[in-house]
Amino acid sequence: MITSPAHARRLTRFLRLLPAIFFTVIVAAFSVLSNRFLSLQNFTNILLQAAHLAVMAVGMTFVLLVAGVDLSVGATMYVAAVSLGLYLSAFPAWLCLLIAIAIGVAFGAVNAFFVVKLRVAPFIVTLATLFVGRGVGLYLSDTRMVLAGSAVSDFAHESSLGVPAPVFVAAVSLAVAFVLLRLTPFGRYVYAIGGDREGARKTGINVEKVTFAVYCLCGAFAAVGGFISLSQAAAAPSTFGERKEFLVIAAAVLGGTSLFGGHGGLLGPVFGAILIQTVQNGLVMIDADPYIYPLITAAIIFIAVLVDSLRAGAIARLERRRIRAEEQETRAEEQETLAST
Amino acid sequence: MTHSQAPVAALLTVYVIGVAVFVPQILSWQTLRDVVIAMLPLLVAVIGETFVLIVAGIDLSMTAVMGMGSVVAASIMTGTGGYLAGNPLAVPVGILVFVGVGLLVGVFNGICVARLRMPAFMVSLATMMFVGGLAVWYTSWHTRSVSISNLPELFRRIGYGTVFGMPIAFLLAVAVSLIAHSVLSRTLLGRWLYAVGRNEKAARISGVPVERVVTMAFVISGLCAALAAVIYTSRVETGTPVLAQNLLLDIIGAAVIGGVSLFGGQGTVMAALTGVLFLTVLDKGLQLLGLSLFMVLAVKGSVILLAAVLDVARQRLSESR
Amino acid sequence: MREDAHTLTTTAMSSDQGHPVDVQQVPLLSLREVTKSFFGVTVLHGVSFDLQPGEVLGLVGQNGSGKSTTMNILGGVHQRDSGEIVIGGTHYRPRVPRDAEDAGIAFIQQELNIFANLSVQENLLMGRFPKLGRWLPVISFRRLRERARQLLAAVDLQVSPHASASTLSPGERQLLEIAKALSLNAKIIIFDEPTTSLTSRESERLFALIGRLRHQGIGIIYISHLLADVVRLADQIVVLRDGHVVRRGPKAAMTVDDLVTAMVGRSIEALFPNRSRRGATGATVLEVERVSQPGIVRNVSFSVAEGEIVGIAGLMGSGRTELARILFGLDPFESGRVAVTGRPFAKPEPRACIAGGMAFLTEDRRHEGLMMEGSVAANLELAALPEHARGISRLIDDRRLRQRMSAIKEQLDIKSGDLRTTPVKTLSGGNQQKVVIGKWLLRQPKLFILDEPTRGLDVGAKQEVNKAIVQLADAGTAVLMISSELEELIGMCDRVLVMNRGEVGRTIERSAFEREAILKAAMWKGIGT
Repeated sequence: MITSPAHARRLTRFLRLLPAIFFTVIVAAFSVLSNRFLSLQNFTNILLQAAHLAVMAVGMTFVLLVAGVDLSVGATMYVAAVSLGLYLSAFPAWLCLLIAIAIGVAFGAVNAFFVVKLRVAPFIVTLATLFVGRGVGLYLSDTRMVLAGSAVSDFAHESSLGVPAPVFVAAVSLAVAFVLLRLTPFGRYVYAIGGDREGARKTGINVEKVTFAVYCLCGAFAAVGGFISLSQAAAAPSTFGERKEFLVIAAAVLGGTSLFGGHGGLLGPVFGAILIQTVQNGLVMIDADPYIYPLITAAIIFIAVLVDSLRAGAIARLERRRIRAEEQETRAEEQETLAST
Repeated sequence: MTHSQAPVAALLTVYVIGVAVFVPQILSWQTLRDVVIAMLPLLVAVIGETFVLIVAGIDLSMTAVMGMGSVVAASIMTGTGGYLAGNPLAVPVGILVFVGVGLLVGVFNGICVARLRMPAFMVSLATMMFVGGLAVWYTSWHTRSVSISNLPELFRRIGYGTVFGMPIAFLLAVAVSLIAHSVLSRTLLGRWLYAVGRNEKAARISGVPVERVVTMAFVISGLCAALAAVIYTSRVETGTPVLAQNLLLDIIGAAVIGGVSLFGGQGTVMAALTGVLFLTVLDKGLQLLGLSLFMVLAVKGSVILLAAVLDVARQRLSESR
Repeated sequence: MREDAHTLTTTAMSSDQGHPVDVQQVPLLSLREVTKSFFGVTVLHGVSFDLQPGEVLGLVGQNGSGKSTTMNILGGVHQRDSGEIVIGGTHYRPRVPRDAEDAGIAFIQQELNIFANLSVQENLLMGRFPKLGRWLPVISFRRLRERARQLLAAVDLQVSPHASASTLSPGERQLLEIAKALSLNAKIIIFDEPTTSLTSRESERLFALIGRLRHQGIGIIYISHLLADVVRLADQIVVLRDGHVVRRGPKAAMTVDDLVTAMVGRSIEALFPNRSRRGATGATVLEVERVSQPGIVRNVSFSVAEGEIVGIAGLMGSGRTELARILFGLDPFESGRVAVTGRPFAKPEPRACIAGGMAFLTEDRRHEGLMMEGSVAANLELAALPEHARGISRLIDDRRLRQRMSAIKEQLDIKSGDLRTTPVKTLSGGNQQKVVIGKWLLRQPKLFILDEPTRGLDVGAKQEVNKAIVQLADAGTAVLMISSELEELIGMCDRVLVMNRGEVGRTIERSAFEREAILKAAMWKGIGT
């Protein structure tokens, strides 16, 4: 498919811009199809709706960077939401948030145990915990809708300095993630493990500890996402968080995080979340048939993965060619040196 | 390299004895009959999944294929306004529709994985969501309820009926098993499947048509999903988009429990059979014990995790030798 | 290259026979009678040698001679059974690789530990990042950059600390590893086959760096199959065979021939089997006409006839493997013509090439040649399966396959248990390579392309593989052989094509074989001898 290094370079550049192109096209299309779409109020709504997804996508990014995956984030959301609604309805919001985080960490720790200590493939582990988690949640809620406590449901409507509380929580979470990933040694270890796991081990990095922490982080962020979402919806039906994991992965991958590990940042997943939410919002604005929502979501996921695969292929080819080109340059210099002697 | 079914068989025996202490009827003929009947369509599905696992892939879309085939075929066969209502060709065409859906999705999955080099679990995930949503949408076009019933008598007989004294479902499952076993152990395609699963690069250089083999594996799993759906649909006597919604974990879990490796290059029909037997007996035991649905989910999830752990242990043991 | 025969010198040297270097210096590293057994089999028999500060010790020996075990013991991967290791006067008993690092031993291995997705500075100081505050786990990027610059200067690597490691060539990456070792205050640096992926210019740069490190008092252990390099670099050479130190002394006292004899116990002549006939014995099998692929190969033309062994020489990156892959249909080519027994390939791909009578033994048998998890039989039969598939259902004729595989096993003398039950990964490197050859032989190819067929094999295994190749040629197969070892090309081939920057620069006939001529032609496309 890719025939030359120049071609590969162009393809990589194009693919990096694709989400942005997508975004522009989609915004344009929806604006044309619905006059309610293009408004400040609506864009604020999109941000509010995207907040929980962005937080979860950032958490997922940590796991994806070490070439892992966590399919149980939706179930984590649900268990956290159910616990808050059933047992902590009288507690203040900040305490609920903390306990939600604790639940998320516990969930992540279970995943981490099987992935790190027992070395089972992450997607099988998290597929199993997805089912078990949802089972636990359904058991606790008795398959009934769970109402959020007043403190939690009021939280969504508060704001400080003009920033709505949910966005505030999301921003703080992102800040924490940023510090962890970009500024600490831990963050470098995450990238190292994703780039070359064995090499990381040989360098003395405690791969097990870092991987364990990464899954706990993902669980924590998933629970925060659950908190935000519960607060906004004020209730958690039995389908709360269902299929969310796929949207979260799509947001991260759309934002440039590779499923193969080692590549990806933080702004990307946030952008991916906003992109996905824009599509969903747009569909509502144009009164699209609700039945096509899963179809559109699936298509977005598919495109995100397709782009990632094409990009990974182009990068691989590019790297191969580039090294060879450098060697050829070196040889040219050698020839000149020889010719002059 | 073959994988011994002995540990699983032993575990199964222990489990049955353990349950029998509380619920002696697990050891009855009735239970045996129930288990076999329940096993048959699951076995067909797991055999399909096994083909994909052997080439180091995975197919998460099988359950969605089943749902889609179910409603499209039902919309054709149903007596209430079906496209071929009352027509003697309704049932054969209906069955062809099942197969068609399976093949179509299989080809799509296969091309994405083999030629576009996309990760199998993401592709089949996306396919699962798309086809699943499509099935629900399709249903809404044809009925105000969530399923399409009033299926022809002939079709309804497939699930529990017999021909020449043998249950039709049994014959189908046996046929699929024998053909699959033969393909895997004695044909060119079988050798190629294992080669691709073990080392794709080496296979390609040795002349194996890797893309075709991988695509074929997904086509086979789509086909098996379709055949399993025929039996399931016939048994519930309605076409419903959520036909097999809860079976995804069962299918993959059974394969892994039976010894089909998630890493590729390993797996047999015998392994599929063992896994399906184990899971079905497990289910039956939990059911007899009267445990709630949630407990069943929790136990099954845990057992599958256990099987995956054993898979890893076995892998590491063979590497250290 | 001298070709006179040498007699064996197998007396193991005891540690009492000191070596000529100034013994008044305290050795940097001292091994005394180190012994190691695995499962009752002794692999090291009282290995002893000393390394002085600022000395280069060349360590040579076949695979299985005990080189790796010795290094692993030094590196803390295995524990010795008896004997002593003394570093700078203190006893050394490492239990984990970290202990080796702490003792100042750095191990530059063939597989480099570079994170391509991180920057140069992050690679250099991975795990030892300078922090902002004492308790604050935040990286100080300013101090990181400064430290990185210092280390890069020490090895004369001119790249920016911010550059992504993925943009570095293999030679530059190796320098990065060395810089990392220096940052760990290594006093002893072990190089394991360091020049395998380097261009000759990069190799020269490495040798110069080794020279500088010597002057800083760092002791160097240099392990390589390229004996000419070892003889050039080392002050002292130690030869291991079957776990014994069979020769040890200053390099001035040894030639390449001496080393080979000590390593193998046979002279170098015997390495390459005598050919009954040389040169073409029949029609042209492979015709390559002006094949080009921009950036990869340019205007390549040559032919190979039945019974000929044509070699392709050239430095790393000259396009040899790329050419082979193009000929076999793995990579595309833009213009030109490739024909096997007269039939041209319009759109080459492996299956068509195989059907046309081609076979391809790749450079990397672990990843591209063998299914490591499969049995020997599964590997042997792989390419020949379609021929043995009968009927519409393509059932495999196992009986006939088994007969033919047994015959191949005999012919190639593959040492293995029952073919169907023995996992191929349990075979030795040489036997594994023979399995790959056997896989292709089952197809009775007319043209056999071999890419570095004896790479990574010890001298004994090399001999066996070369014997098999010669047998092939004698039986009428056309052989195209890529090799980086000039002695091998000289010993085996009728003609050698020298590739340079994707082009075939010169073709050297057997009569004109001369190591220096081939080397010069490889380095300089052009005129004259």
